[in-house]
Amino acid sequence: MASKRIQKELQDLQKDPPTSCSAGPAGDDLFHWQATIMGPADSPYAGGVFFVNITFPPDYPFKPPKVTFQTKVYHPNVNGQGSICLDILKEQWSPALTISKVLLSVCSLLTDPNPDDPLVPEIAHIYKTDRQRYEDTAREWCRKFAMG
Amino acid sequence: MADDSDLCSDYYDDDEDDESDQLYQVDSGNDYLGEDTQPEASSSRKQEWTVIDQCTLAKLQNGALEAVSGIMGCSRSTARKLLVHFRWDKESLMCTVADKGQEVVYRAAGVTSAVELEDPSASMAEVDCGSCLCSVARNECTSMECGHIFCNSCWQQYFDVQISDGNSRRLRCMAFRCGAICDEGKVGELLPDSSPALKRYQQALLESYIEDNQNVRWCPSAPHCGRAIQVDGDHYCEPQCCCGLMFCFKCGDLPHSPATCEMFQIWKQKSQDDSETKNWLCAHTKPCPKCKNPVEKNGGCNLVVCRCGQAFCWLCGSATGTDHTWTRISGHECGRWKDDMDKKVDEASRNHKRYMHYFERWKGHMDSLAKEDELRADVLTSVENLENADNELNDYSWITFGLDQVLVARRILSSSYVFAFFMFGNDMFKSEISEERNLANKELFEDQQQMLEAELERLSHLLEDAQKPANKSMQLRMLVINSKDSIHRRIVNLYNTLENDILSQLTQSASSIAPYTGK
Repeated sequence: MASKRIQKELQDLQKDPPTSCSAGPAGDDLFHWQATIMGPADSPYAGGVFFVNITFPPDYPFKPPKVTFQTKVYHPNVNGQGSICLDILKEQWSPALTISKVLLSVCSLLTDPNPDDPLVPEIAHIYKTDRQRYEDTAREWCRKFAMG
Repeated sequence: MADDSDLCSDYYDDDEDDESDQLYQVDSGNDYLGEDTQPEASSSRKQEWTVIDQCTLAKLQNGALEAVSGIMGCSRSTARKLLVHFRWDKESLMCTVADKGQEVVYRAAGVTSAVELEDPSASMAEVDCGSCLCSVARNECTSMECGHIFCNSCWQQYFDVQISDGNSRRLRCMAFRCGAICDEGKVGELLPDSSPALKRYQQALLESYIEDNQNVRWCPSAPHCGRAIQVDGDHYCEPQCCCGLMFCFKCGDLPHSPATCEMFQIWKQKSQDDSETKNWLCAHTKPCPKCKNPVEKNGGCNLVVCRCGQAFCWLCGSATGTDHTWTRISGHECGRWKDDMDKKVDEASRNHKRYMHYFERWKGHMDSLAKEDELRADVLTSVENLENADNELNDYSWITFGLDQVLVARRILSSSYVFAFFMFGNDMFKSEISEERNLANKELFEDQQQMLEAELERLSHLLEDAQKPANKSMQLRMLVINSKDSIHRRIVNLYNTLENDILSQLTQSASSIAPYTGK
C-alpha cells in the first residue's frame, strides 16, 4: 500500500508540479525523498532554495511523513536540527494529505511564522519585538545558506 | 471542560456527624479486614467503593450509556462518544449541554464534524479515494456519518494502525481536520470478524469506562487481576480489591495514609533506586495534566497533545488550549525563572541525616509488615486446624483479628514516619505554619506515634506466643483482644490529631489523606 501510494504521489507531482517546490526520491529508496522549496517572494527567504528531507513511514499514509529542513533556516518554527513545528505533521495529520500539500504548508509557514507556538523561543521573541532585526537575520542566513 | 474540583464537594459533609455510616461494597466479602462490627470513623467523610470485574463492567457501562442516550435522545454510539469526551461524568456532560448548547458539545466530542459535507458520490459508480488516490467502485467504499468517503481497504488499514497505536477510543475520520469519531457499528463492519484489531477495539471501548473515568481506577495489582475500583465518594480513600490488594485511589500507589500522596511520591523517589524504566519515563515523558498518563514527545514543537485530547506545554507541563494549530494557540507563557532550584539542592544534603532517621524506621516497619503478611497464611491454616481439633475452646478467630490489626497498624505506623519527615522540620509547609507551632505539633504527634508503636510491638509479640501450641489460654486471648482494641483506639487518636490539629492548620496546600477506616 505505502509504496503504491508514494508512487502515485510521485506521478501526480511530475504531471502537475507545484509552482514553488519540487520533490522526488533521493536515491533508489522510494521511502526517502528530497524536496526543494523556493523561498516565497513576499518573505525574507525570497531567492533562497531550501532543501528538505522527507522520510515515509512503512505505514504511510496512515502515519505522517517525517519532514525536516536540510538547509539552515532562521525561523521561529524551525530549529537547528531542521525540525519543523507544524500541526499537520503531528496530531492533525490526515491520510488525505499529500507531500505536495505538506510542502505548500511549509511554504506558507515561511511567509507567516507562528511565534505563539515557537520551536526556537529566542527567534520568536525577536520576531515579535523587533521585526526588522528578524527579517535582516533571516535574509542574511538565507543568503549564506540557501543561495548559490 | 468540567472542573473536577467542585465535583467532589458534594461528598464531603464536614459537620459534627462523627459516626457517619461507612459503606463497603466489596462484592466477594470483606474478609481480609475481618470482623463485621460497625466501623468507627476517624473522619466524617463518606467512603464508598465498588469492585468492577468484566461482568459488572459491561453492566455499569450499559447503564451509563442508556441513561445518556435516553436523556439526549441519541444513539448508543453517540452516547459513548459524549461520555468518553466527558470522562464518563454524566452531570458535567448535561451541564455543558445546557450551558453551551448541544451543537458545540457534539462538535467538541467528535459526534459531528468540523467540516461536514453531503456525500457527493452517493450516486456515482466510482469514488476517488483520498487516501490511496485510486478510483474504487462505490460498493467497495464506506462513508462515515460526517459524510467523508474512503475505500474499505484504506479504512481497514487506517483502523489497524490507529488501534495498534492505542487510539481505539478516539478513532477519528480520515478526512483532513474532520475530527468526527467513526461510528462503532461501521468500524465493526469494516474490520474482519475475529481479527485481533476488532477484538482490541471492542475491548478498548468497554474499558473506556475505566480508562477515561475519573471515578474508576484499575486495580494496580501485578500480575493484573483484571478488576477495577469505582469510588462514589471521596477520592481520598484506600480501597481493597477482591484480589486482596489495597491501594490509594487518589494516586494508585500502595496505601500510604497518613502520609499524603505528594509526600509518598517524593518519598518513594528518594528511597527507591531508580529503575531503568523509571529513568526513561522521567527523561522522556511528562504526565498529561488531564489524564495523568505519561506522554512521550515524538518530535516537533513544545505544544504536545495527549491521547486523551488535552494539549499541554512540554516545557512547564501545564494545560494549554485545545484548538492549537500553527496559526493559533491560546495564550501561554512559562519561561519565567522560578528562584527555588538552588535551595532544593542545599536542602537535600542538609536533610540527609534526618532522612536516614525516618527512612530506617519506615523501612523497618515495612519489612515487618511483609513478614507478618507472609505469616498470615500460616496463621489462617493453623487457626482452622485448631478450631477443628479443639472442642473445648473452639473460637480462635481472635488470633486472625489480632494479626489483621497488626498489619493495619504496621502500615499506618510505617507511613506515619513518611508523614513526619515531610511535616516537621521540612520546607514543604514552611510558609503555612510557624516554627513554634510546628514544634508543638511534632511533640504531640510523636507522643501518639510512640504509644502506638509500643502497643503494636506488644501485640505482635503476644501473637508470636499464640503461635506456640501450649499457649492458647483464655488469659492470652484476653490480652490479645485488649491489645487489639487499644491499638485501634490509638490509631483513631493519631488520626484525630493529624486531621483536626495538624492538617487543619494548613491553609494553602491540598493535604488530604485517606481516613482511617479500621474497626
